[in-house]
Amino acid sequence: MITEAETPDDAPKKALIYIFCGACQAENEMKPKDPIRCRECGYRIMYKKRTKRLVVFNAR
Amino acid sequence: MYEPTLKNLTNVDYGKPPDSQNQILQELGTPHIDSFNYMIEEGLNLAISDLLPVEFDTKGKYRVKLTLLEATIHQPRVPTGSLGVKSHSIYPLECRQRHGTYSGRLEIKLSWRINDVEQMIIDRDIGQVPIMLKSKLCHLEKMSPKQLVKLGEHQDEWGGYFIVKGKERLVRLLLGTRRNFPTAVQRNTWKNKDQFFSDIGILIRCVKDDLTTVTNNLHYLTNGTAKLMIPIKKRVFYAPIFLIMRCLTNSSDEFIFRHIIKGHEDDLYFIRSVMEMMRSLHESNIHCQEDAKEYIGILFRPRFYELPEWKTNKEVCDHMLRSYVLIHLNTDFDKLKLLVFMLQKLFSVAQNKCLIEGADGIMMQELMLGGHLYLKILKEKLQTWLNLVKINLLKVDQGGQPSIGDMMTALRRCDLIEHAMTNFFATGNLNSQSGLGMQQDKGLTILVENISRMRYMAHFRAVHRGAIFESMRTTEPRRLLPDAWGFICPVHTPDGTPCGLLNHLTKSCIVTKSISRKVLRDIPKVLVSLGMCEASYKPQDINIGFVYNVILDGRIIGYVPETLTALFIRKLRTLKVKGKQIPETTEIVWLQKKEENILGQFPGLFLFTGNARMMRPVFNLDLEQIELIGTFEQVYLDISISEDEIRPNITSYREVTKTDFLSHLACLIPLPDYNQSPRNMYQCQMGKQTMGTACHNWHLQSETKLYRIQSPASPLFRPVHYDALSMDDFPMGTNAVIAVISYTGYDMEDAMIINKMALDRGFAHGSIFKTELIETKPHTYFMRDPFKEDLPNFLGVDGLPHIGLKLSKGTPYYSYFDEQIQGFIIAKYLSNEEVIVDSVRQCGDFTTGRKIPNKATITVRVQRNPTVGDKFASRAGQKGIFSKGWPAEDLPFTESGMVPDIVFNPHGFPSRMTIAMMIECMAGKSAAVHGVVHDATPFKYSEEDTAIDFFGKLLEAGGYNYFGTEQMYSGVDGRAMKASIFFGVVHYQRLRHMVSDKWQVRSTGPVDAVTKQPVKGRKRGGGGRVGEMERDALISHGTPFLMQDRFMDCSDKSTALLCLKCHTILTSLIQFKEDSYSSKIAKCRTCDSTQVQEIGIPNVFRYLCSELAAINIKLQLNIEV
Repeated sequence: MITEAETPDDAPKKALIYIFCGACQAENEMKPKDPIRCRECGYRIMYKKRTKRLVVFNAR
Repeated sequence: MYEPTLKNLTNVDYGKPPDSQNQILQELGTPHIDSFNYMIEEGLNLAISDLLPVEFDTKGKYRVKLTLLEATIHQPRVPTGSLGVKSHSIYPLECRQRHGTYSGRLEIKLSWRINDVEQMIIDRDIGQVPIMLKSKLCHLEKMSPKQLVKLGEHQDEWGGYFIVKGKERLVRLLLGTRRNFPTAVQRNTWKNKDQFFSDIGILIRCVKDDLTTVTNNLHYLTNGTAKLMIPIKKRVFYAPIFLIMRCLTNSSDEFIFRHIIKGHEDDLYFIRSVMEMMRSLHESNIHCQEDAKEYIGILFRPRFYELPEWKTNKEVCDHMLRSYVLIHLNTDFDKLKLLVFMLQKLFSVAQNKCLIEGADGIMMQELMLGGHLYLKILKEKLQTWLNLVKINLLKVDQGGQPSIGDMMTALRRCDLIEHAMTNFFATGNLNSQSGLGMQQDKGLTILVENISRMRYMAHFRAVHRGAIFESMRTTEPRRLLPDAWGFICPVHTPDGTPCGLLNHLTKSCIVTKSISRKVLRDIPKVLVSLGMCEASYKPQDINIGFVYNVILDGRIIGYVPETLTALFIRKLRTLKVKGKQIPETTEIVWLQKKEENILGQFPGLFLFTGNARMMRPVFNLDLEQIELIGTFEQVYLDISISEDEIRPNITSYREVTKTDFLSHLACLIPLPDYNQSPRNMYQCQMGKQTMGTACHNWHLQSETKLYRIQSPASPLFRPVHYDALSMDDFPMGTNAVIAVISYTGYDMEDAMIINKMALDRGFAHGSIFKTELIETKPHTYFMRDPFKEDLPNFLGVDGLPHIGLKLSKGTPYYSYFDEQIQGFIIAKYLSNEEVIVDSVRQCGDFTTGRKIPNKATITVRVQRNPTVGDKFASRAGQKGIFSKGWPAEDLPFTESGMVPDIVFNPHGFPSRMTIAMMIECMAGKSAAVHGVVHDATPFKYSEEDTAIDFFGKLLEAGGYNYFGTEQMYSGVDGRAMKASIFFGVVHYQRLRHMVSDKWQVRSTGPVDAVTKQPVKGRKRGGGGRVGEMERDALISHGTPFLMQDRFMDCSDKSTALLCLKCHTILTSLIQFKEDSYSSKIAKCRTCDSTQVQEIGIPNVFRYLCSELAAINIKLQLNIEV
């Protein structure tokens, strides 16, 4: 996924970000460095998805 | 007659966007949009053709002339060259979310000539300028509610504002002097202008079609002469009136003289003064038009550095007359005629033959609208831009003939417009050389806060008198004058500093828009056909007696003989109501000549067709149709309020409805005619502070702060206007069962008790949405630090918090990688309040690459359920603080087992006299029992048909007591109370003031760097302050130790060394003893004495001593120990 020439040693590893478009709701895969732009329609505002991880507050 | 219902919730179309928008709500934006549309369609190119061409010589003696030919503003679109974009339109929602500006390209056509040889016309974009929503250039203009909802807007979006840097900004409506009408004004400051100046003058605010404004004053001088004030670039000049008249005409002195004294032949003082003024002009050796123009040209040449030096003096004078004297008139002769009219009026006023008009009445005022101000600013900026092109062209000029390349280089350096326009809208500050004829240069735009529907709506109808009056001592401009009836709401004005200056238009008031040029051009012809004589027409032989000058938008176009005027106006009105040849928005003002000894306004027949005037519909009894009348016009009409008030042959008009004089908000108060008037004013204020349903697109919002209540309800007692405004779509309060009883002791001084059970069921629960824009530096990108192990608990891979994450102080908020330092930066959440992340957005831009900052917006939600100290209010100006949640079982209950939600202290009624709230209590109860909604429109009930009787009977029919009272039992011991308790349903609003935003405590904390005193301000963790007046109270109570504690011990106590010999605290120092380094000694540095005493003083006192020492003042403390 990452070629050696692209990343110097101390640069962080890149993970994929899943994000959806504010205009066409298309799900986009992107890398942190990518410009924020929907691949389907070119819209410029991307929404973060709801997390799948458990977000529970302890009822006290 | 429409009666309110609750049926809209069970309507089959509920939840579906309707086919058309609500007309009343659309009208909120109309004045703003009309003015902007006028700018795009006509104003802009009028302004362009009025710009002064820039002419100059280059180094190589080439004469260059730059002229702007045309300017066009385009719709907001994605810049050309953006790849992979499906929709090329930019919609407002995107601009709000990205914190961008909703703007379109400004394209110009520039013609340039070298040595009078036309070069290729340059077509070029010179920046992006903000665009008003729902104007002709906005994509939303003609959209149906369905389309609007699809784009994330509201179905009733009415536009009228701009989006600048993500904020909604509106140009404030300002009241200013009526245009093109010579107003007689008395101002004391005018006396001090120069020798002989009096306080009387005729003020005329001249406005051209492109909205350029110049105010000319004709001053009366006590030596019987008159001088014309000419403002040029923020400086004023006074010219003798005859000098200007001489410039305007080449006619003989006799002709001018005859013209001036016409109709005033018996006024000897006037005739003598006119002759004297003419003589004095000849004495200064000015005998003809040429002389006068030459004289003025020489005098004013240094003022007009924009004119090239090869212009003759005559041309300079012509320029001055064209752009600074009565600029609304195009021909010299028209200007002369108006000057003559003004002179006649001036002398008439000065001799006390007619009245001073004053600029404070609404009848002498009109509005300044957003689009018009936009045009004025843009015009000036374009002129500056042309000059900037000149400067830049001269910079690249090498001496040869300027080439197209040079021109392009010069143009590239002229980035001015975009920044200037955006900056104006973002700050509201006007940065202008000429001042644009405006009285203020700050606070011209306002942020349209969307706290609740009421607040949002009110912004669009608010009119301000001007910022300078706010600081003025006099209360004159704040006064509510009778001529404001029907135009300015008497109820809806804030109390405090802006009282009477910040007003609101009534619901029926409209603002005129520009009429078609063709109709305007034909008006004089129509008037002639109705019996007006043209100005040049002179009847032979017969004497027609007194005539009224007909003045159309400040231009004298003819006259009507006195005997025919009444008939003439009748015919004119008939045509006006028809609205074809004479526009419906024409204002016909007949200032009649009064009989001897009665003072009135200077006679004349004035017609106004211009834009930005306030008008309102009334019923014309003669023509039996609705007619629009203006502010000035209304003063001379007889209007009855109701049918039975009509007096035959006197009354000619009737109000359309009785509530036409109220604003939208005042009309939402239930039965305001039953309240003491200030209570209605308070409700207008509090309605705007209510937490309610601000919007429907919560998930799309990126407003800094939004309030929301979770379970709003529709009021059971409401005016018809509530439904007309579709307020049910944005409900703002909850229906609460109240018992008016003094029960717990926790309800003194406007505090109120809320049933704990009601709270647990969700009564008035709410939340706040806060959005923060996060902008990181260039050369960074959002990403989670992979080396921190606990970070995935908070942040996603993208370095932004998980949705639903609970944030508290110190929680990781976001993280990004900085390429310059090659490391991660993790930002922590800083606020003290616990919040939940609601939505996270990343915002891209058109220019891509690492060099632009990264943008993300994080919306968080703050739970705000009612806590002790939160503010509530009924709709009758009765506010109260929630003081205690009382267990339901301890509250009193009725025979049917009802327990109140709110216990209201009966002491709140006698002094406030809010009868409407008591009626609401009965009406709400009967509405609840019968399952209906009751109408609370003002003036619905009368002495004969009382509201109390109506609802009393309904209550009786429902099985309750006629007066709305009930037998109650104590919740503590179950005994029946002896008194019957007033018990019913009232609509309660929760206000946005909450203790969680206000609490402030401190024991120790941050201190001021200089004074060492605790800082002020809740945000910085400062203390509550004990000030001068509190000090007075402490002194009067004889509590010196408390004072010592507050002002010294808890503030900036410090110790100082006082030298007992030189009596100062600045000189002593603690040193080591000379012989040993073990023990220390305090010693004075100036007198070497060791008689030093340590004393306790406030630290600021030491600071004061040092400051005084710095200006060579010694402070001695003669203290004996």
